[in-house]
Amino acid sequence: MAKNDLQGSLDLLVLKTVSQMGELHGYGIVLHIQRASDELLSVEEGSLYPALHRMEQSGWIRSEWKLTETNRKAKYYRLTAAGQKELRKAQESFEQVVKGVRAVLRHAQG
Amino acid sequence: MSVLRRIANLFHRSKLNEDIEAELGSHIEMRTADNIAAGMSPKEARRDAHLRFGNRGAMKERVIAADAHTLLDSLWQDLRFALRMLRKSPGFTAVAILTLALGIGANTAIFSFIDAVLLRVLPVRDSQQLVLLRWSAHAKPKIHGSDGYGDCDDNARDGACNFSLSFFKTIRAENNAFSGMAAFAGPIDVDLSGDGAASIAQGTYVSGDFFSTLGVNAFIGRPLSPADDNLSAPPAIVLNYAYWVQAFGGDRSVIGRTVRLDNTPATIIGVADPHFTNLTPGKPQDFFMPISLVNRVRDQWAGHAPYLTDAGTWWLVMLGRLTPGVSVGQAQAAATTIYRNEMLHGATPAFKEADAPEIRLEPARTGLNGETSRFAPMLLLMMIVVGFVLLIACANVAGLILARSATRQKEMAVRLALGAGRARIIRQLLTESVLLSFAGGVLGILFSVWGVETIGKLLTRGDQPFPFVVGPDWRILAFTIAATFATGILFGLAPALRSSRIDLTPSLKESASSLPESAAYTGRFFRLGDALVVAQVALSIIVLIGAGLLVRTLQNLRDINPGFDTRNILLFAIDPNIAGYSDAQIQQLYGNLQERLAALPGVISVSYSEEALLGGGWFGTEIHLDGAPPKQDITNLKQLPVGLNFFSTMHIPILSGRAFTSADFAAAIANNAAAAAWGTLARANSASPSASSSAAVASAREAYDHAAPTPVIINEAFAKKFLPDRNPVGMHIGGGQWTDNDVQHPSPGYAVVGIAGDTKYAQLTADTGPILFLPIVGNSAHFELRTAANPAVMVKSVREIVSRAGENLPLTEVRTQTEQIDRLLFEQRMLARLSGFFGVVALVLACIGLYGLLSYEVARRTRELGIRMALGAQTRDLLRLVVGQGILLVFIGTVIGIAAAMGVTRFISAMLYGIHANDPATITGVAILLTLVALAACYIPARRAMKVDPMIALRYE
Repeated sequence: MAKNDLQGSLDLLVLKTVSQMGELHGYGIVLHIQRASDELLSVEEGSLYPALHRMEQSGWIRSEWKLTETNRKAKYYRLTAAGQKELRKAQESFEQVVKGVRAVLRHAQG
Repeated sequence: MSVLRRIANLFHRSKLNEDIEAELGSHIEMRTADNIAAGMSPKEARRDAHLRFGNRGAMKERVIAADAHTLLDSLWQDLRFALRMLRKSPGFTAVAILTLALGIGANTAIFSFIDAVLLRVLPVRDSQQLVLLRWSAHAKPKIHGSDGYGDCDDNARDGACNFSLSFFKTIRAENNAFSGMAAFAGPIDVDLSGDGAASIAQGTYVSGDFFSTLGVNAFIGRPLSPADDNLSAPPAIVLNYAYWVQAFGGDRSVIGRTVRLDNTPATIIGVADPHFTNLTPGKPQDFFMPISLVNRVRDQWAGHAPYLTDAGTWWLVMLGRLTPGVSVGQAQAAATTIYRNEMLHGATPAFKEADAPEIRLEPARTGLNGETSRFAPMLLLMMIVVGFVLLIACANVAGLILARSATRQKEMAVRLALGAGRARIIRQLLTESVLLSFAGGVLGILFSVWGVETIGKLLTRGDQPFPFVVGPDWRILAFTIAATFATGILFGLAPALRSSRIDLTPSLKESASSLPESAAYTGRFFRLGDALVVAQVALSIIVLIGAGLLVRTLQNLRDINPGFDTRNILLFAIDPNIAGYSDAQIQQLYGNLQERLAALPGVISVSYSEEALLGGGWFGTEIHLDGAPPKQDITNLKQLPVGLNFFSTMHIPILSGRAFTSADFAAAIANNAAAAAWGTLARANSASPSASSSAAVASAREAYDHAAPTPVIINEAFAKKFLPDRNPVGMHIGGGQWTDNDVQHPSPGYAVVGIAGDTKYAQLTADTGPILFLPIVGNSAHFELRTAANPAVMVKSVREIVSRAGENLPLTEVRTQTEQIDRLLFEQRMLARLSGFFGVVALVLACIGLYGLLSYEVARRTRELGIRMALGAQTRDLLRLVVGQGILLVFIGTVIGIAAAMGVTRFISAMLYGIHANDPATITGVAILLTLVALAACYIPARRAMKVDPMIALRYE
């Protein structure tokens, strides 16, 4: 059985974003998810940072202070090998859930 | 790793805070910049950026919590949850805690004794620097006398730890390896009289540097110093703290007071530090006196031995304190050089070159083992027994938790389904079990306090209390804590691992009580539950068989016929020697006492002997059978000097001839006096030889040689062994002829006047061997009073009579003959009682385990049982079903237990008497006992099964 709570999907979104962008700060992650989902999903800033911290403590991502293009100091996150594995797992389980939910919906229609 | 980092983060909270603050700050800056770019006013842009975070303080806390949460926080959560779960099932919790408390308490109690006997450090400064000197050689030393007081192991192979005073002085002067050396010997019984009545106190001779070398200070006054070693120094003693409190009421004015030690006045100059109870474990003393007093205050057995001057009289135990920087090996080599030189080339060489005499150094703590070796085997055996009990308790509680976890599997399934990790569930369950064992540990400490007191009483041997101080210390605390946590994890782990591996679907679908038997989960659970019950049964069988053997041993020992009537005899000892009586005075005193005591109402007859029968000690002598080749002696023959009426008082039959009469005693006294006169003259002559004194010696010897043989009584075993096929009455037996001198001048020897029935002498377990009874002459004696009723009530009037008969005559070892025998058997009695107690505990625990398993079974199978009944099963069938399962487990456990016991019990065969380690009767008896009790344990759940109402059971869903 897959985990599919909200926290699970937030983790998935963050991991995917960091993996696609290579290296990104928190604000960038918020923007990217918003843009990539055609403004359908918006990440609550209040939940993002606890999640980032938890993922860092779990060893899925690493952080580093760097300068942005506009010369501002920001904390950049990047995926670790463990994070890569976690991402794959989260992606699979999410797809399972989607499949399951879709099947249920289809069944209800028919 | 991450755990450590999280903990580290907890301590770097302020740094973490700063970090988060900076990160959020940069986020807000970027958002604000973007907002402005999108056309907001700067104020609005900043407000929006802030608003998106909601409550920033709360969020920061959440970030920090993400660190700490998973560890400490959840630990607290686990703990609270565990408490709640335990409170929800008070019955289970109570049984589990009690069981664990019993196991942990028993282990703590026994460990307290092991700690006291085997693990305590010596109560001296820097005890690790203190070493004991032992000598060893390939041959026995050629010396005049060798005394030991049981401070260290001494045997032919490893030598011993006694030295002469002159060697002590030599090595102390010549070595550089020790920064200090000390010598001591004793303790011996001393008649100590001050203001009040005389009493026997235990005094140890110590060298003047004893206290400074050990680093022991005086509590009040001063310790002995090297100046006290001078023969001309005024005699001074230092009291042991406990003795000071007990005998002098802790009165500080004792310093400077004069007491009499065997009639020698000595001044009390100090009281030793309270921590310094004794040096050799289990050998306490009441006071310390300088070695220089040995000629004035000495043991009655010491005779005239030249302790102070003779290099061939070995009696002192030596300790050295290693000089810092000198290794044990270096010190050993240095000491060996000095020893070898003294022993081979000194004034009185004791060894030859080929004997390779050497000194070995041992840490003082292990070298001075004293009474340790007597108690250690018993205590270690008990430790193993209580270890088994703790294992049974663990298996028991594990079984209870397992049964309970089955009812909790829905809870576990829900938690797993909600995303709890397996590790998290295991941790939760382990928290519960450690909490249980912690409660058990706390209660167990209370149990152990009671246990220590009870076992302490069992270890008391008559009026001799257990010679070690048992008290809590950090080792016991550490042991209990370790035992508690190990227990919690041991019994918690198996059920926890099992529970976390639930197959979710059936668990969520079905209620626990209706789980089908075929479910994979239940199959596994019951194999584990069964195994736990089998293990408990097997372990308790081992404990019970061990206990059975020890109890039977005690019984066998009690059933031994000692050859005399042990009922209604009161015993007490007096030693007129140390009160300064001469042999003739003693003889008169004894006769006097005998008469007055016999006149007491309720006393049937009175006698006395040098040793009490079954007192543990015996005297040996040599005889020379008439007609045997010269110097072919019978050595180590047991002899017992007895008083008038001894045989009639003890109810020992005289099989032929007669008992002793007053005339026999007169003859013995005359012979003894003749021998003593000769000895005195000979000593004087050898000190200052002259023609006249050697003539006196010759005539004294002549008189002794021609004295009439001393009348003796032999026992039946003596007659059968040494004088078979003859009537021994009237026969002559020669005294020992072990030197040429003896051959030339044979002593008057003995004339057999009677044959007594066989009796045991020193020990119950020893074979009834030959005994030579002689008329007693002088010396200390044990009186025997044969009374009409309970002898214990006579004690007061006996004391009065003795104190009226002579001053300074302390009564010691007042006890009845049965108490005396109990004292001999105290080890066996303690082992039998303790192991019996723990055997019963093991049995009860195993049966609780069995009962718990079957009760759960019945509850779980209610529906199945209902269906069976509905289909026509008789109550008898159900009974058989439930009881059958229980008995099968018991049977398997019993077989395994017996097999294991047969391998294990041989380790205690040295402690058994009259019974084989694999005694079939004991094994069968234990198996039957366990089966019967187990049947009772099965019967209660089985009755519940029979009362299942099929209608209710089927409606249960």
